[in-house]
Amino acid sequence: MKKFFTILLCKALRFFGKLIGKGSSMPGKIALKFCPDILKKIQLPKYIIAVTGSNGKTSTVEMIAHILQKNGKKVAWNKEGSNQIEGVTTLILNSCTLTGKVKYDILLIESDERFAKYTFKYIIPTHFVITNLYRDQLTRNGHSEWVYDAIKESIHDETQLILNADDPLVSTFGYGKDNVIWFGADKLSTDTEEFDGVYNDGVYCPNCKSPMTYSTYHYNHIGHYECKNCGHKRNNTAFTINSADLQKGEIVINEKYNISIALKSLYNIYNILSSFTVASIVGINENDIADSINNYILKNGRVVTFTLGKRQGTLLTSKHENSISYNQSIKLASDDKDGCDVVIIVDAVSRKYFTSDVSWLWDIDFHKLNNQSIKKIMLVGTYCNDLAVRFSYTDIDNSKIEIIQDIEKAVDMLNNDRKEKIYVITCFSDKEKFLSKVKVN
Amino acid sequence: MKILHLYYDLMNLYGEYGNISAITRILEKSNQEYELDKLTINDNIDFSAYDFIYIGSGTERNQKIALNDFYKYSEEIKNYISSNKLILMTGNSFEMLGKAITDCNNKMYMGLGVFDFVTIEQNKKRYTSDAIFTTEIQENPLVGFINKCSEINGIELPLFDVKMGIGNNNNDNKEGLHLANLFATHLTGPILIKNPYFLEFIAKRLSENTNNFEVCTDYLKYEYLAYEITLRELNNRFENK
Repeated sequence: MKKFFTILLCKALRFFGKLIGKGSSMPGKIALKFCPDILKKIQLPKYIIAVTGSNGKTSTVEMIAHILQKNGKKVAWNKEGSNQIEGVTTLILNSCTLTGKVKYDILLIESDERFAKYTFKYIIPTHFVITNLYRDQLTRNGHSEWVYDAIKESIHDETQLILNADDPLVSTFGYGKDNVIWFGADKLSTDTEEFDGVYNDGVYCPNCKSPMTYSTYHYNHIGHYECKNCGHKRNNTAFTINSADLQKGEIVINEKYNISIALKSLYNIYNILSSFTVASIVGINENDIADSINNYILKNGRVVTFTLGKRQGTLLTSKHENSISYNQSIKLASDDKDGCDVVIIVDAVSRKYFTSDVSWLWDIDFHKLNNQSIKKIMLVGTYCNDLAVRFSYTDIDNSKIEIIQDIEKAVDMLNNDRKEKIYVITCFSDKEKFLSKVKVN
Repeated sequence: MKILHLYYDLMNLYGEYGNISAITRILEKSNQEYELDKLTINDNIDFSAYDFIYIGSGTERNQKIALNDFYKYSEEIKNYISSNKLILMTGNSFEMLGKAITDCNNKMYMGLGVFDFVTIEQNKKRYTSDAIFTTEIQENPLVGFINKCSEINGIELPLFDVKMGIGNNNNDNKEGLHLANLFATHLTGPILIKNPYFLEFIAKRLSENTNNFEVCTDYLKYEYLAYEITLRELNNRFENK
C-alpha cells in the first residue's frame, strides 16, 4: 500500500508542480522522504541505460532518446536534466503504473557524476555510458580523480560499461571487466602530434603515474595514449569514428555510415558516437540509427542563433569552470573563415551556487583566438577585468580587445554596421542576460 | 635571478602556472633578467641555485608521487628556508613539509619533516570555499579559493587569519604556514594573479634578497580592478550569509 501511495503522491506532486512551474526534483525528494527505498519496489524494464561524465551527458541522452523513439521504442528519460536521485525518482515514479511497473521499453538516465552512487543503489543499470572526465566545476567537484572515485562506487558488477577509449582516466573503469564496449575515434585530420593546450592532464598514467606517450591528440588529453610502464593503453574500439570533416560537417562511423553533423565540434561527434553505440546495443538497425541521427539539431538550446540589428550571431553555451567546454567554443569561432567578432561574458560564475573563483580562466586555450579571421574580441560582465588580465597573457593584439563590464552597453556597442558574424561564448548562468536583448532566430 | 617551477606537470590542479606567469611578468616589467626552470620528478635539482621556488596544488595521488621524489631533498629544503630564500607553496603542496600525510585508506606517507605538523586526508567530503584571508605581512587581505580533503594539525606558524573560508583544520581560524621567506597556503589556482598586492609583496622580498631592484607595478591595472571586484563580491557574500 505504501508503494501505491508513494507513486500516487509523486505523480500528483509532479502534476501540480508543473502547473505552478516547479522543477522536476521536488516530487521525487518528497517521495523519497515518505518511502526511502521506493526505487527497490519498482518493476523495471529490460534496458536501463545510464549516462554520466563531465561533458556531453545531456546532449548524449537527448540523442539516444531521439534515435530510440524514432525507431519505435518507448523511452522514459530525464529530459529536464534533473540528474540527481530526486530527479531520477520523479522520472521513474511518473513512468510507472500505480502498481509500480515501468510502462516503457527503456529507462534512460542522465546521472550526475558525484551522486551516481546514491541513484544507482537501488536502480542497477544494465548499461552505463561514461563519456569523459575533465576539469569541471572544481569549486564544487574537487577534481577529476575525486569524481572518478565517486563514480567507481556506483558501478555494479552486472552492469555492462560503455566507455570512451580515448580518455585514459575513463578507460581505467574497464579494468578487470571483459565485456566493456569501447568507443572512440581513429586518428583524425584535426589531430595534433604535439600537445598544444595550456595544461595537460595526460602527462602521467592514471593507473601507475608513470609518464605516458601519445601517438595522436584529438583534443586536450583525449587521444591515443600508451603507458610503457604498466601497459595501460587505448583499447581497440567496437564503435569508431574513422574520419571527421568539421568544415563540411561530416563524419564516418564504422567505415560505413556517413553522418552529417549540425554542430561541427569535436566533442559533439563523441556524443553522436556514444548514442550510436547505445542504440546499436539496444538492437536498432545501424542504417536506421544513421538515418535518425543524420543532421540532428540538438533541442537543448546549447547553440542559439540571433539577430542584432543588421548583424547575425551565434551564442555558444559553454560551461564556466570547464575549460574543455570553452576550448570547443573557441575552436568553433576560430574555424569560421569568413571572419568574426567574439564576445566572452563572465558575469556570474555559476547559476546554482555562489563562487567568485576565476582560476578556470587560466586553463582555457584563449591563445587560440589569436587568428586572422577573428577581428574583435569583447570581454564582458562582472569578471571582465579578470578576462582582461587573462588575455594580457596571450599574444593577441591589444587593439582587437574591448573591455565592457555592462552587458547592455556591450549589446549597444555590437549593434553596428560591421559585417562580421558575432560569436558569443558564455554559460547558462549568463546567456539570458544577452539573449533577452537581441532577437533570437 | 633563477626561478624554479617545481613539479609543474604534476602539481597543477587549476591554472597554477599563472603564479609563475605573474612572477616572470613583474620581473620583466622591472627590467630584471631571469632564468626559469620547470622541473619535475626524477630531475636532479640543486636548490641552492634558485632565488624563488614555486610548487602548486595537485590531486591527492599526484601529491604522493611528488612527495616520493621531494622527500630526498629534505636537508636541501631546510637549508633553503633557513637561508631566508623565497619559496611559495599553494594548495596541498605544503603538506609535504610536515611529519606525515595519512591518506583516506589510512596509509601513512613520511613528509620532509621540516615542520612537526601532520596531515590527514579523507575521501567523504571535499572542503571547498571562497576565501578572504587577512595577514600581518600586508594591509590588503588575500582572496581565493580552497579545494581540499585534508586537515592539518600542529602548525605553529600560520600565515593567515581566516575571515571567510576554511583554516588549516576545521577547528582552526588560522591558515597556511609562514617561516622566514616560506609562504604557504591551501589557496589554489593563480593566487599571485588574483592578488596583485601579494604579488608586489613577494617581488619586493625577491628584490631585497637579490640586487634591490625597483619593483614595477605600473602595469597592474586590470589586476587591481579584478581584485577589488572579487573582494567586494566576497565581502557581500560574507556579510549576507
